[in-house]
Amino acid sequence: MGANDVSMIKAAHIGVGISGQEGMQAMLNSDFAFSQFCYLQRLLLVHGRWSYNRMCKFLSYFFYKNFVFTLVHFWYAFFNGFSAQAVYDTWFITCYNLIYTSLPVLGLSLFEQDVNETWSLHFPELYIPGQHNLYFNKKEFVKCLIHGIYSSFVLFFVPMGTIYNSERSDGKDISDIQTFCLIVQTSLIWMVTVQIALKTTYWTMISHFFIWGSLGFYFCILFFLYSDGLCLMFPSIFQFLGVARNTMNQSQIWLSLILSVILCVIPAFGYQFLQPLVWPVNVDKVFDRINHCKTRPPQVRVRTKLKHPSLRRSAYAFSHKQGFGALITSGKTTKTKPNKKNSFPVKK
Amino acid sequence: MLQLQRKNSCNSSCKINIIGITMSRNVLNVPEVYLVPYRTNMEKEFHHHPSRMPDNSAMKQQKLPAHQLHFSARVVLTIFFATGVFCFCMGVILILSAQSIQEIEINYTYICENCAKLRENAFNFDQKCTCSVPFYLQENMEGDVYMYYKLYGFYQNHYRYVLSRSNNQLVGKDIMDVEDCAPFKVSQNKTPIAPCGAIANSMFNDTIILSYTLKSSVHIQVPMLKTELTWWTDKYVKFQNPSLINLSDRFVGTEKPPYWQAPIYELDTSDPGNNGFLNDDFIVWMRTAAFPTFKKLYRRLYRVQYFMDGLPAGNYSFNISYNFPVTRIKGEKSVVLSTLTWSGGSSLFLGLAYTVTGAFLWLASFALMAIHMTMKKKKLSYRR
Repeated sequence: MGANDVSMIKAAHIGVGISGQEGMQAMLNSDFAFSQFCYLQRLLLVHGRWSYNRMCKFLSYFFYKNFVFTLVHFWYAFFNGFSAQAVYDTWFITCYNLIYTSLPVLGLSLFEQDVNETWSLHFPELYIPGQHNLYFNKKEFVKCLIHGIYSSFVLFFVPMGTIYNSERSDGKDISDIQTFCLIVQTSLIWMVTVQIALKTTYWTMISHFFIWGSLGFYFCILFFLYSDGLCLMFPSIFQFLGVARNTMNQSQIWLSLILSVILCVIPAFGYQFLQPLVWPVNVDKVFDRINHCKTRPPQVRVRTKLKHPSLRRSAYAFSHKQGFGALITSGKTTKTKPNKKNSFPVKK
Repeated sequence: MLQLQRKNSCNSSCKINIIGITMSRNVLNVPEVYLVPYRTNMEKEFHHHPSRMPDNSAMKQQKLPAHQLHFSARVVLTIFFATGVFCFCMGVILILSAQSIQEIEINYTYICENCAKLRENAFNFDQKCTCSVPFYLQENMEGDVYMYYKLYGFYQNHYRYVLSRSNNQLVGKDIMDVEDCAPFKVSQNKTPIAPCGAIANSMFNDTIILSYTLKSSVHIQVPMLKTELTWWTDKYVKFQNPSLINLSDRFVGTEKPPYWQAPIYELDTSDPGNNGFLNDDFIVWMRTAAFPTFKKLYRRLYRVQYFMDGLPAGNYSFNISYNFPVTRIKGEKSVVLSTLTWSGGSSLFLGLAYTVTGAFLWLASFALMAIHMTMKKKKLSYRR
C-alpha cells in the first residue's frame, strides 16, 4: 500500500502492510508486513487467535498465582499479632516468581494452542471471543481474585489445622514456624503446578519439561538451601537448617499437602467442566462440534475422476522480468497433489 | 505451506519475484503460494544476506508433536468419584488413629493462685514458689508417654521476636556476635549477652515433676528422660558449644540474659552433653512456634520399674516450681501428658477435613453426572 495509508496503519490496533509495488513506506510503519492479502486470514484466524488465547491464559494464571502467594499473609496476620511475620522463608520469596514459577508460565504463553491451525481456519467463529473481549475482562479478573482468595484460605488453614496441636510421630516438635513455612511453601508450589497443568491443553515435550522440571528443581533447591554445609557457612543468612529432612518424613505433612491441593484444584476443575454445560457461550458450541468431529473421524469421500478436458490449471504470473511465463506454465513450480486424507468434508 | 515474514527490511533492490499463485481445488479455499526468491547475478554480488524466511522446523512453525488434553465427561466424573473415595477412606483412617491416642491436660495457671499473684510482680523474681496439682488418671496410658508444657497467648511468631537471635553465636563460631539480637544485645555494662536475643531471654523456666501415688502415703517420682527431646540436626549441627570442656571459661566476657537466674553453662552441670547451648530444654525453646498456642516437649517417660508399659491408672500429682509469669501477658499454661501414633498427635482436624472433603466430592460427582445427563438429553432433543 502507498504512503498515504501510513496514518491508517498507525491508528489501527494492528497495522498490516502489504509489500508490493507502491514502495516500502506502509510496510515499515506496520506491525506485520507480508506480500499477499490472503495471508491476512492466517494472521487473524490462526496466529491472532492463538496470541489472544495465550495472553489471556497467561494473565489470569499470573494474577492467580500471585494472589495466592500474597494473601496467605493476610490470614496469618490474625495469628501473629499483626506483626507482618512472613509465612515463607525469605529465599522462597526471592525465588518464587524468578525461578520456581517462571518457566511453566513461559511455556504456556509460547506453545499453547486450544485448537490446531486447520480447525481454526475451518471455523472462523472461534475468532469471536477475541472481538468481544471474552477471555480476560473485569469479570474474569474478579473470578481470578476470588479463586486466589479461596486458595490462600485453604493454603493457610489446612497446614495450620494439621500442625496446630500435633507432634511428630516420635514426639518431637512439628508446630514450629519453620516447619509451617515449609509446608505452606511446598503446598503452594504443588498447587500452582497442578493449576497450570490443568490450564495447559497443548502438551509438548517442552511443556512437560518446564512444568515437571520446575517442580523437581524446587525440591533440589530446597534441600540445597536447607543443607548442613550452606547453613553452617552462613548461619545468619540461611537459618532453616535441617527443616526439610526432619519434616518430609512425616506422613501428616504429605497428607496435608494432598488435601490442600485437592481442595484448591477441584472447584476450578469442576467449574471448567460445568461452565460449557450450564452456561454455554456461542464458542462452546463450536468446541463441541470440533470434539465431535475429532471423536468421529470423517468418512473419506471417494471422488470419481471427472474429465474436464477444457479446464487447465489456471496460473497467474506477476514478474518484473520477461520470460517467466514459460517457466510457470511448464508446471515445474507447482506442488504434488494433496493427500486425500487431509481434505475435510464441507459441512456448514 | 505459508510463511509470514515480519517486517521485511529488504531494501527496494532486493527483488522477490512471485512466480506463481495456483488456485487448486482445495476446499479450505486457501491458496497455495510459492515464493521463490530469485535474484539476478548482479544482485547476488551485492546482497549476500540469507533469506529471512523462518525455518521450516517444527518449533518455528508451531507444529511440535504434542498431546492435546481434553477432559471428557467420563474422565472428569471418574476423577471426582475416585478422589472422593480416596479422601473419605483416608479421613476415616486418620480419625480412628487420632481417637486411639490418650491425652490429659491440666491447666495450672490459676490453680496455683499464690504463685500466680507472686509472679505478677517482677521484683519477686528471686522468691521461689512451688505448687502441687493432683489429678487422677482413669485409664492406663500404654506405650510411650510424653510430657509437654503448653502455652496460650504467647506470640513466639512475632516478627521482631523471631529475628532476635544470633545463629553465629549458637553454632559456637563466634560467641561475641550479637548483631541481630536487638533489644537484648548487651547488658547494662555493655558486655555481650550469651545467648543473646529475645527468644533466649524469654525461655520457659518452670520445673515440673510428676509423682505417682503408689499406696495411700507412698509417693514415688515418675522417672523421666530429659534428653532426645529435640531434632537430631538441632542438637548436633545447628547448636554447638564453643568448647567441650571448661565451658565456663569459654564464656568469659559474656553475661547471662537479664531474665535468667543462672548462666548458660550451669543449665545442667551433671551432663556436659546437655549443658551450654546443647541443653535440650534450651534448644526446644529456641525452635519458635508458629502459633500463639503451642506445646513443647518437656520430658519423656523412662519405662522402668512400675512404668514398663506406660503410665498405670491412679492418682498422680504435678509438683511445679512456678516461675514463668504468663498472667502478666494474659496467657495461660498447662501440662499435657500424651501418647502418640503414626499420624502425630490427637488432633482430629486432618481426619475430619478429609472425611468431609471425600463426602462432598462424592456428592458432587453424582450431581455433575445428573447435570451432564440432563444436558445431554436436552442437546439430543434439540438436534432432532
